[in-house]
Amino acid sequence: MTFINPLALLGLVAAGIPALLHLLQRRVPPELEFPAVRYLSAAERESARRLKLRHLLLLILRTALIVVIVVAAARPLVRVRGAGGGSHEPTAVVVVLDNSPSSGAVVDGRATVDRLRVAARGTISQTTSADRVWLMLSDGVLRGGTREALLASVDSVTSGWQRLDLVQAVERAARLANGQPLPGREVHVLSDLQRTALSEGRAAVPAGVRVLSLEPGRAVANRGIADVRVTEGAALIDLVGTTADVGQGAAQPVPVTIRIGAGRDRGEIAARGLATPGSAVTVALPAQTFAPGWWVGEALLEADELRADDRRPFAWRVAPPARVTATPGAGEFVAAALGVLREVNRVSNGSDVVFTSGDALSGERIIIQPPADAALVGQANRALASRGVSWRWGSSATPGPLAASGLPVINGVQVARRYRLEAGGSEEQEGENVLATVNGEAWLVRSGNAILLGSRLDTTWTALPATPAFVPFVDALANRIVRGEAEVAAAEGAPHVEFRRRGADTVGATVFGPDPRESDLSPATAAIATAAFGGRDRAEVLSDKAFASERFSGTRRTDGSGFLLVLALLIGAAELGVATRTR
Amino acid sequence: MAPRLDLLDPAEVAHLGGIEIVAEGVVEGFLAGVHRSPFRGFSVEFTEHRAYQPGDELRYLDWRILGRSDRLFVKQFEEETNLRSMILVDASRSMAWRGSVDRLTKRAYADRLAAALALILLRQRDATGLVTFDEQVRQLIPPRVKAGQWTRIVKGLLDTPDGLGTAAHAALQRLTALLARRGMVVLLSDLLFDRELALAALRYLRHRGHQVIVFHLMDPAEVELAGPPEVRFRDPESSLSVVVRPRELARAYAETVRREIAAWRTACRRHGIAYHHVQTDLPFGMALRLLT
Repeated sequence: MTFINPLALLGLVAAGIPALLHLLQRRVPPELEFPAVRYLSAAERESARRLKLRHLLLLILRTALIVVIVVAAARPLVRVRGAGGGSHEPTAVVVVLDNSPSSGAVVDGRATVDRLRVAARGTISQTTSADRVWLMLSDGVLRGGTREALLASVDSVTSGWQRLDLVQAVERAARLANGQPLPGREVHVLSDLQRTALSEGRAAVPAGVRVLSLEPGRAVANRGIADVRVTEGAALIDLVGTTADVGQGAAQPVPVTIRIGAGRDRGEIAARGLATPGSAVTVALPAQTFAPGWWVGEALLEADELRADDRRPFAWRVAPPARVTATPGAGEFVAAALGVLREVNRVSNGSDVVFTSGDALSGERIIIQPPADAALVGQANRALASRGVSWRWGSSATPGPLAASGLPVINGVQVARRYRLEAGGSEEQEGENVLATVNGEAWLVRSGNAILLGSRLDTTWTALPATPAFVPFVDALANRIVRGEAEVAAAEGAPHVEFRRRGADTVGATVFGPDPRESDLSPATAAIATAAFGGRDRAEVLSDKAFASERFSGTRRTDGSGFLLVLALLIGAAELGVATRTR
Repeated sequence: MAPRLDLLDPAEVAHLGGIEIVAEGVVEGFLAGVHRSPFRGFSVEFTEHRAYQPGDELRYLDWRILGRSDRLFVKQFEEETNLRSMILVDASRSMAWRGSVDRLTKRAYADRLAAALALILLRQRDATGLVTFDEQVRQLIPPRVKAGQWTRIVKGLLDTPDGLGTAAHAALQRLTALLARRGMVVLLSDLLFDRELALAALRYLRHRGHQVIVFHLMDPAEVELAGPPEVRFRDPESSLSVVVRPRELARAYAETVRREIAAWRTACRRHGIAYHHVQTDLPFGMALRLLT
């Protein structure tokens, strides 16, 4: 307990006055003659017990009266819970304002982010100069600063494009608050509490840190585009949406529109299709109507409560099939795969791209496997060097699974036999050109127009030819990798497309859009959220009103002098009653 | 119209003069206010008739005259002089106390009441005597009816100083031997002594055929406790003292006094003794009227 006027507590010395007066009065009473002393003695004998109790009670009441008045004069600040004004003890508070894309959903005519902003403003407005405050948005950055600066930040917050994992955010915020040497430590979670925003597990919230979360608003129906994958002549569109029952019956098919082109090349509506949320729809694209090159398109849904996921862009590479040939040394599995690809017009006959082994390195763009005979490795390495390839085959290496971030289809496929690929250039160049690894060692590398493999594409070397991923792998080698193009990548952010270039060539694209999990507006239950935020002894999920009253309530203080003065009045009345009762 | 001294405040009346003057004044007023003999002896004799006056008791109407002449006459009696009365006045130290200078001490009140009572009795030609006592008998004036008896009684009262302790039972026991003939015994005392021992003596007197009357005198301050916030009260007759806060003990004290008075009254009634509680601010006439 702290006091506004602590010096007034010196007055507590006066608490001894009643006892002192009592003792002084007992010392020298005046003496009077009184014949009926025998009656007095009898009366006193009969009343002795009652009088002693009364004296004790009066002494206690009078002492308590002085103590209460003195303490009231010192104006104590006492902790209070519940609604009401009053200050609070210095508190470290982290406001987690979840402005992820889902916060743009309109519920009851109001954007969720507006509601969250009001709550955040309420919290920051109640802080004092003795508090320490941080603001965390969905980008995960902890912003400190003055109250005014943070209020300005809150006022400028709009629905963003990054998803926030609330469990991780709460854990970080709690750790930060716990590290502050202040009496109070609180984390205020202001979020729509999407179920999908709570990852598995429970946030490690230290004891002493209170996590207060605003309860979610009403669940609303939503549908959004989770992903658009464009292949030759078709766009595969995944739809997602609110999975909770929001009282609107079964999900209805929704029209999907594909647009391709922008600016002067802005294409008209290219294709339409109907899709049910939670399913995927394939829309045919008339590839022959588009010139070769990179195209930007977008899939569109009709507007609903959450606009952020109603549009998702995509990048589409329109290119003629690679003209491919394979030398006998490439093996029968490669020949078979190319046969399949020719049937579906993914490749055609020609010599632009040559699948070969180390014994024959002719062709503009070559995909080279090691020679089957180990005795020919040295000769093959010399041939590579003469062609200007900076990589060479080394000694035999340990078996292991494939790891390729740019080629997810071959991830995990087992390699039984391989040569260690050794680079002749700098380490930086090595890193850029390694496309797949086994046990952390290069297995698939690019060097100029050559692609070098650590194993032969044969089942005695690797299981890859026996897997469904083999044909797409050969397709990627022939049509994309050997040309230096990367797979179209996806990233979280405002919907747009960014191209990667190497010189004058466009070698890849990154498509930005919201995380598909943001489209499911199903809220977590209070029990789930409480458990995720550290359990019932650490976290509470509260309504707007309760949240407003409970924040800082663990350390809220109010001037207790008013209450003490009322108490003093009551004690005074009690003293008067006891003192006059026997008069 | 002259004020009746018997109905005035005792302290004011006491300022008018000595015991004789006060007693005579009180008795004159008292007798003027009553229409019959206040005390009855063991026998009375008819003396004469007089015309009925409003206020006369109907039991003294002479119904025969009323029947013969249709006129109202009352009968008047003259009491015999064979009533022997002995007035006992407690002269102990506690009797010399008063709770306020505006009041008489209990002793002064008792002296004047005794003088007045003696005068009434003597005017009725009853043999009247006096005993004053504290720890022992101080004055003993045998009952007589002869002239000058009242003066002797008054002198006996005046000659008795304030005593020390009270040993009423001893004095009362001695009196039992002195009062051989049946008569009336009037005790004026604050009764601050052992109740059982005193009652034993009074019972004995009653047993001997005496009519016993007890006036329990108390100062009003002894009935209702008051004083400084805290005070040491000391018994003037003994070394006993007690420190009390009168305000907080007042209720318990009043209850104790009430019980004490009730105990005296009950004990006296049980043995045929007339008991009267008199506070020293009670006009003398009212006190005397208790005997009628």
